[in-house]
Amino acid sequence: MKRVQLEIVLGTIFVLLSAAIVIILGIREPQRLADYVLQQRGRQIEFGAAVFQNNCTACHGSQGQGITGIAPSLRDEHFFTERLSEIGWGSTLEDYIVSVVTTGRQVSTRPQYVGGGTPAMPTWSERFGGPLRDDQIRAVAAFIMNFEQYALGELPTPVPIGPVVDESTPEGRGQALFTQAGCVACHTIQGISTATVGPALDGLAGRAGSTVSGLTAEEYIHESIVDPNAHIVSGYSPDVMPQNFAEILTEEQINDLVAFLLDRTQ
Amino acid sequence: MTFINNILKRLNYTQLPPRGEWKEFIFKLIDDRIRIITAGLNLRELRAIMRGDPPTEKPNPRYKVITTSFVAHLRPRYYPQAATWFTHTFRLGFFVTFFFIVETITGIVLMAYYVPYPDQAYGSVLAIESNVFFGELMRDIHRLGAEAMVAFSWLHLLRTYFTGSYKGPRSFTWLTGVILLAITAWLSFTGYLLPWDQLSYWAVTVGTSITESGPIVGPTLNLVMRGAPDIGAGGLLRFYLQHVILFPLLAILFISIHYYKVSREHSISLPAVVEELELPADKKKEYNRRIDLIPDLLSHEIFLIALGTFVMLAILYFRWFHSPLETHANPQSTPLDTKAPWYFWWLQGILKIDPANILENLLNPILQPLLGLFGIEFTLELSKLLDSKFIMGLIVPPVLVVILAFLPYIDKNPSRLSSKRPFAIIWGISWIFIMLALSYMGLPEYGIETPAATRVIQDLAPEEGEGPLREIPYAELQYAHGVYTVGEDYGRDLCPGLAYQPDHDKPDNVVIGCPHLTAVFNQFSERLRVAEADGRLPDLVARIVVEQFQPGMVRVTPQVEWSDPETGEAKAYEHTYFLHENRVLGSH
Ligand code: HEC
Ligand code: HEC
Ligand code: HEM
Repeated sequence: MKRVQLEIVLGTIFVLLSAAIVIILGIREPQRLADYVLQQRGRQIEFGAAVFQNNCTACHGSQGQGITGIAPSLRDEHFFTERLSEIGWGSTLEDYIVSVVTTGRQVSTRPQYVGGGTPAMPTWSERFGGPLRDDQIRAVAAFIMNFEQYALGELPTPVPIGPVVDESTPEGRGQALFTQAGCVACHTIQGISTATVGPALDGLAGRAGSTVSGLTAEEYIHESIVDPNAHIVSGYSPDVMPQNFAEILTEEQINDLVAFLLDRTQ
Repeated sequence: MTFINNILKRLNYTQLPPRGEWKEFIFKLIDDRIRIITAGLNLRELRAIMRGDPPTEKPNPRYKVITTSFVAHLRPRYYPQAATWFTHTFRLGFFVTFFFIVETITGIVLMAYYVPYPDQAYGSVLAIESNVFFGELMRDIHRLGAEAMVAFSWLHLLRTYFTGSYKGPRSFTWLTGVILLAITAWLSFTGYLLPWDQLSYWAVTVGTSITESGPIVGPTLNLVMRGAPDIGAGGLLRFYLQHVILFPLLAILFISIHYYKVSREHSISLPAVVEELELPADKKKEYNRRIDLIPDLLSHEIFLIALGTFVMLAILYFRWFHSPLETHANPQSTPLDTKAPWYFWWLQGILKIDPANILENLLNPILQPLLGLFGIEFTLELSKLLDSKFIMGLIVPPVLVVILAFLPYIDKNPSRLSSKRPFAIIWGISWIFIMLALSYMGLPEYGIETPAATRVIQDLAPEEGEGPLREIPYAELQYAHGVYTVGEDYGRDLCPGLAYQPDHDKPDNVVIGCPHLTAVFNQFSERLRVAEADGRLPDLVARIVVEQFQPGMVRVTPQVEWSDPETGEAKAYEHTYFLHENRVLGSH
């Protein structure tokens, strides 16, 4: 066979094979597009989870479960079923989330959630001076929407592992509580939290014994938790720190917290 | 009939033929049209071409095409037989042109959907992939074609260098070639920014920052390029316009000049062995036999197009190549390991060389004892005088390019035979190795210290891109909910009770346990243990926490705690990864 003839034969085969590939890809294309949309939604949720973790957990809790006195749960049944009619919102829940997060909330619509004071929740959108781009806000909304099956009880809610601590010691249990009870929303402890609503607790163990005369360090910290208004740290207002920890937490848990604070804030 | 003919005559039109001559009349009408469309070939000639017969008229109408048609005038009438040897050109220049045309076609399609604005660019690329029929295919072809065009340009340069084709009359062709190489590089660099993901944003930010170090005009140049101190809406628009208008036009212009020089003026060079060695007359005659453009070169090129198209499609069909799209550009956070595209690694490598430091280390040991003899204490300090970014970024690469461009005027050796230009051959090979070494130095891993714990976690799951941790199948992660501590014995597999089907279409394919997660955990443990053993991570405590976080999504947190080797201070590093079960859907 001459080279030209060989090239004609091979060239024809290549053209036919190319056409076959295009046809096969074309047949698969609708399915691929549908899959890609789901894949993109999955990645958007992942991305939103990271945005949430970096910006929202201080008020809404590490898993969006809310923190008593600070900010509401974003994963309970009420939020998914009744909140829209309560607030009189006409569009979808996802749009509601995007809208609230974009602008923030100057004043809370519910007195039991004070958030960060005024504004209750800051604006998040770059457009109004916040830190987040629009695509990040839409991602965080997608992430919150993904709680729906847990919120409506369609799937059992898994037990979060949370920070890994040694649960056999009071200090370890106290550290877990410090996150779970929402202390991280207001207090800074190096390496654990960065919030400025309440005083930073680093160094507390040292100064606690001499803050109120007649109270040991242990007693002072205990009192600060169960009855925060008994002594107001200068520069801070009364009634900001929730007054009901004595009811939410057992005496043993409060002692664990005290042990943890004494140990960790030397 | 006469009536119509009268009207036609008045209108100065062709007369209708008498009865019985209609067939010839119509044939001639068609034939004339065809001759005009093909710029000189009539039907009889076309038939002869198809059958491989000799030309039917004199002068050869197949050459006429080349003088009359604008497009064809960039093509040769013929090449001498020896110049068409495959091993002489490897068709590299042809394939560069092929890729350029592929880029133009796919680029026009992509342009219809792309939005050159920071808020929307990334979304529009996502929409191309998720919402446009064959959108992903177009993007993949465009990216593959771009990388191939750069690679083939370099290979083509090497081939013209090693065959000595840049010499003598072809020095201007070589010069336009170097310009084309620069245009190709700039086309790919400007295109790199457009998806507006972290990868592109930071590669271009780092790339353009080189100009900043220039004296006086540096900052202004940087401003002109970026449109603002940082790349934003202005910079993106500038890059976009250069990518879709300015540089394609320049490329067309210079490819045309280049082609014209090669095909009309000097022809492709004969292999040096044919040109310079004494050969028997019959061989010489055969090697100089004309291979006409029509039909031989043309049919060969059509074959090459079919081959190139098929190979590209096959590569994409088997998913050996896929254009990346990472997370949205974020000017506030520089990802660890920012990396330029592979064809710029050599530049990144050059930037890591610090000439001041090298000179100091070289000269000080000589100067100090010398001056010491005179009782002078002196240490040469050049780092303030020589700004390494300026020298290695703005001086060295342009000087290299200028040397490359003027190579034909530097290399005065008239012979093209490798045996008569040993120095040039060694020089060329050395440069291949230098470029490879520089590229290696350009890798993010080279010469940049990352703290051990960060490095280990980054290698498992780089901030951008996938990595073994993100490739663990969801079924394993979902089952594995729990804490896995380094140093504890979990047996051979972390999930002894698990069995799952990785692919629903293949129910027979069952995986026992969680091999992927186990492998990641073992790698994590081993690398940390090594770092602990060599003293970088004393008092190591490390674990991987896997949690079901949301329906269809887990959170994986590798955590490392250690004490600082010097101060003994307690340190900790952790990174959280959220992994959704659909994250790989549709990408297989
Ligand atoms: C400074 C504390 C604070 C932070 C940080 C915060 N929020 Fe809020 N958020 C609040 C408070 C307080 C409310 C309740 C306002 C109300 O009830 O009117 C709220 C309400 C909401 C609501 C509406 C809930 C409802 O039931 O109407 C959404 C959605 C929300 N936040 C999302 C977010 C997201 C997403 C982030 C992170 C980007 C975030 N929040 C960060 C304090 C905060
Ligand atoms: C809504 C924000 C908020 C939350 C939640 C909160 N605190 Fe406070 N906390 C404050 C403020 C404000 C003060 C300072 C005013 C005061 O003394 O009551 C304070 C004071 C304290 C003090 C005294 C600090 C010192 O320097 O003397 C301790 C101890 C303390 N909080 C512990 C806790 C613990 C433990 C928790 C979790 C169970 C907690 N707080 C939750 C806001 C908060
Ligand atoms: C967009 C980039 C380029 C295109 C489209 C292109 C195209 C071509 C083509 C089609 C040929 C005919 C011979 C062959 O296929 O090898 C050719 C020859 C040549 N090219 Fe290029 N080229 C490009 C870049 C370069 C570069 C970067 C150089 C070197 C600096 C170069 C130097 C030459 C020389 C010297 C010849 C003549 C070779 C000979 O006569 O044997 N070209 N080019």
